[in-house]
Amino acid sequence: MAPKLPPQHPLQHSSTVVADGQSHDAHSAHPKGVMRWLLTTNHKEIGSLYLIFSLIMFFIGGIFALVVRAELFQPGLQLVEPEFFNQMTTMHGLIMVFAAVMPAFTGLANWMIPLQIGAPDMALPRLNNFSFWLLPVAFTLLLSTLLMPGGGPNFGWTFYAPLSTTYAPPSTTFFILALHIAGISSILGAINIVATILNMRAPGMRMMDMPLFVWTWLITAFLLIAVMPVLAGLITMMLMDINFGTSFFDAAGGGDPVLFQHLFWFFGHPEVYIMILPAFGIVSAIIPTFARKPLFGYASMVYATAAIALLSFLVWAHHMFVVGLPLAAELFFMYSTMLIAVPTGVKVFNWVTTLFRGSISFESPMLFALAFVVLFTIGGFSGLMLAIAPADFQYHDTYFVVAHFHYVLVPGAIFAIMAGVYYWLPKWTGHYPNEKLAQCHFWCSIIGVNLTFFPMHFAGLAGMPRRIPDYALQFADFNMLSSIGAFFFGVSQLIFVLVVVLCVRGGKKAPAKAWEGAEDLEWSVPSPAPLHTFETPPVFNRTQSSD
Amino acid sequence: MWSVVKSVLAALIGVQSNVKRQQDFSSGKPLIFIVTAIVITLVFVLILVGVALVAAR
Amino acid sequence: MHLPWRWLLTITCAVSCSQAQANGWNMPVGVTDLSRDIYNLHMTIFWICVVIGLIVFGAMFYSLYRYRHAKGAKPANFHENTTVEVLWTAIPILILIGMAVPATATLKKMYDTSDADLDVMIIGQQWRWRYEYLGEDVAFNSNMSTPWEQIHGEEEHGEHYLLDVDEPLVLPINRKVRFLMTADDVIHSWWVPELAVKQDTIPGFINENWVKINEPGIYRGQCAELCGVNHGFMPVVVHAMEEEEFDSWLAERKEAQEQEAMGVDREWELDDLMARGESVYRAICSSCHQSEGQGALPAFPALANNQPMIDDFDWHLDVVINGVSGAAMPAFRSTLNPVELAAVVTYTRNAWGNDTGDVVQPALVAEKIAQ
Ligand code: HEM
Ligand SMILES: [Cu+2]
Ligand SMILES: [Cu+2]
Repeated sequence: MAPKLPPQHPLQHSSTVVADGQSHDAHSAHPKGVMRWLLTTNHKEIGSLYLIFSLIMFFIGGIFALVVRAELFQPGLQLVEPEFFNQMTTMHGLIMVFAAVMPAFTGLANWMIPLQIGAPDMALPRLNNFSFWLLPVAFTLLLSTLLMPGGGPNFGWTFYAPLSTTYAPPSTTFFILALHIAGISSILGAINIVATILNMRAPGMRMMDMPLFVWTWLITAFLLIAVMPVLAGLITMMLMDINFGTSFFDAAGGGDPVLFQHLFWFFGHPEVYIMILPAFGIVSAIIPTFARKPLFGYASMVYATAAIALLSFLVWAHHMFVVGLPLAAELFFMYSTMLIAVPTGVKVFNWVTTLFRGSISFESPMLFALAFVVLFTIGGFSGLMLAIAPADFQYHDTYFVVAHFHYVLVPGAIFAIMAGVYYWLPKWTGHYPNEKLAQCHFWCSIIGVNLTFFPMHFAGLAGMPRRIPDYALQFADFNMLSSIGAFFFGVSQLIFVLVVVLCVRGGKKAPAKAWEGAEDLEWSVPSPAPLHTFETPPVFNRTQSSD
Repeated sequence: MWSVVKSVLAALIGVQSNVKRQQDFSSGKPLIFIVTAIVITLVFVLILVGVALVAAR
Repeated sequence: MHLPWRWLLTITCAVSCSQAQANGWNMPVGVTDLSRDIYNLHMTIFWICVVIGLIVFGAMFYSLYRYRHAKGAKPANFHENTTVEVLWTAIPILILIGMAVPATATLKKMYDTSDADLDVMIIGQQWRWRYEYLGEDVAFNSNMSTPWEQIHGEEEHGEHYLLDVDEPLVLPINRKVRFLMTADDVIHSWWVPELAVKQDTIPGFINENWVKINEPGIYRGQCAELCGVNHGFMPVVVHAMEEEEFDSWLAERKEAQEQEAMGVDREWELDDLMARGESVYRAICSSCHQSEGQGALPAFPALANNQPMIDDFDWHLDVVINGVSGAAMPAFRSTLNPVELAAVVTYTRNAWGNDTGDVVQPALVAEKIAQ
């Protein structure tokens, strides 16, 4: 496993200690300042870059959402025109999915996977650097479309053709380019993660000894490698339709607008699991730690994750129940979607049973993880309702769907990310986060999230379509509540920034094993984790794992 | 062979005991499991297609 | 029908139907047999979720309270129990099968569009609906009639703010009406919650759906698929009438449409065309080219003082009739009749200082369309 040493000056070589085939001086000539971050190949530094990038994008996407919510505070058009409103909903979705949630998970993977499997770094460090630096390029380009003549993308994050081709603003070509770059970044990141997990585990650690965060990320990485090329193909077809006169999606030229949706959701449904599987991994690490009891069914969790990943390729048309599919297709996708609820349920049951007869304490990571279990499950329930095809004729494209996916993504994916950050901050910085502030952040977020998204269920059932800048009077109360909740939630996230900044700068010192019940390998290195860890592979002690 | 099929089915619904898992993972032949899993997935899809077609009649 | 399911239905209805009816919190029960079926499915799955939720969250919060570390709880060290795991896989599967059976039955009913008494073509356009009663020679457009002054807060919101149209779709009750649905430009989705019909209208495709309404009334809905800037402003209104009333309405409409057709051969005055043209412009053109013809670049060019348009009369007429391929300008040859086309071309050639003095006669337009 020893990486090939770079050719070195013989004198230098003789003067350094070479331990276990690892050269220390390879790292000694560190560039300083900006160049250090531009050129870094260190998984911890790149992990931090990803996380910081994602946090910035979370706020930018959040501001877009607040523009939307401000306009929807009351019936009537007050603040923005419908055209700009559509750009805001679209950009909010794109930024949150591709620039906030996905990079946050990649950042956590960068930091934690090598530490959890006892590897010195990622398998392909330079590729790692490249994957990250593609992101600021992609999203600067994407955000710049807002300033172009005709404005930015205004066709929703699902960018259905022909609204996104024949009828799109001129900036759409840049949108496509930006998405291509972001896609390449994801694929390269995923390849790196697969290579790391398969090749660089500590001697003695078998696949089935890996922590669940590693497992879920391994499966996620395969999903990414499988579906990002589909997205790339799809947007390339759009590019051709827009610029080179093809008619893939243009009915007037013999094309097929429904084909667009099939391709999009063949990417899109696995994509939503890409955003939740690593969250399952994080929660499966935190709950046993704070219940001081091993995960109830480790093997089942791994298998359920794999099953969810496989099934996720078979359910895409549940987003298309009202496009006029044949009856048999409709039934197939209804059945397969209902089935996917089973392994999802298995996960929830496992977490709850892990709590049963544990010894539970409620530090901030645990609070977020517990909120995840409850609120994600509520999102799963509405997902189950949406899976019932006849009923989906009423739910589809209403605020009920908006409520569903925000429940699985905000208190789902994003709470899990925050839980992970609070959980691992002591390892990253050597200090515990300020518990009072963190708890305050938690309670504000919980109230904000539910105030924002729960009323959306009612608005949707009562008949409010999504993606409209103005609405009929009977939806006014629900929207006012949602808007108040959204601003409250948005402002609460500043507390999160405060906690993180304070924690980086100081705080209660954390020992190597920062949490009493924590078991995985990352807790065997000092806190804060030095820049280089596991240069000598640790001996993996099997009793640490589930059995 | 039957035990391989059973393990794969267990994986499909996300239920497996640690003992069985230990056995599977010490068999040293991952390829068998992977091939079986792919075949069973295809069969699963076909069954579901069949059910949908019958129900649609 | 399956007994347990019946039971659940009865219970859910008893608990909820009475208060949940159109109180603005829940899915409406609606006014068709199918909408009622769908509502029942919705409530059944909802209560199933509530019960599972109570059990799971109950167990969870019990554990959280009972096994607090602060209270000195000692952790047990058990994990895995194949029986439990098989149970919690098998029970959900059974529940899901129980759910799939009625859902399949309902879906099959929704897909049965055979034996319709009346066929209506529904065409989505940016941003209005067009309805054509097939075989009856009756067709019209349905535009939102809520004034923009209300939307911009210059006037009080009306009672059916954003949900009013100039001409609703009129349907008979108790007859099976089949919808054939398509679109001219982008994808739209025609939705009326009380009829439980939501179907995408897709350019190049013809989707089918159907409805058999039980009660007369006015039912309102909206476009449900993002279709561009005015997506929020293309409501659907259905006026359901007693059968005899509908028949006489249809006959009247037919006659009016014939009258209009005769107007094609008549010689029209400038003032009449301008008046007619202005109302067509308001309803159809102004959403893109704006109320004063000022346009909205880059997508929508200005018409006021548009010199190329003013100079080239033939081109102007051709664009309105046949559209511009590859751009947002649709062909209006089948959406508007010759009188309306002539009127709106006349209007745009004379309004906002375009003062060409041109008068376009419907007969000329009819000739162009025939070519
Ligand atoms: C029990 C599991 C789930 C089921 C059965 C389920 C089912 C569905 C269905 C049927 C729809 C389409 C609704 C419609 O458009 O009419 C939908 C939409 C959606 N779901 Fe789920 N879902 C589940 C879990 C998840 C998870 C875990 C995520 C992501 C973390 C997710 C994210 C989404 C998103 C983003 C959409 C909306 C996409 C859009 O139209 O913009 N869902 N879900
Ligand atoms: Cu999906
Ligand atoms: Cu629309």
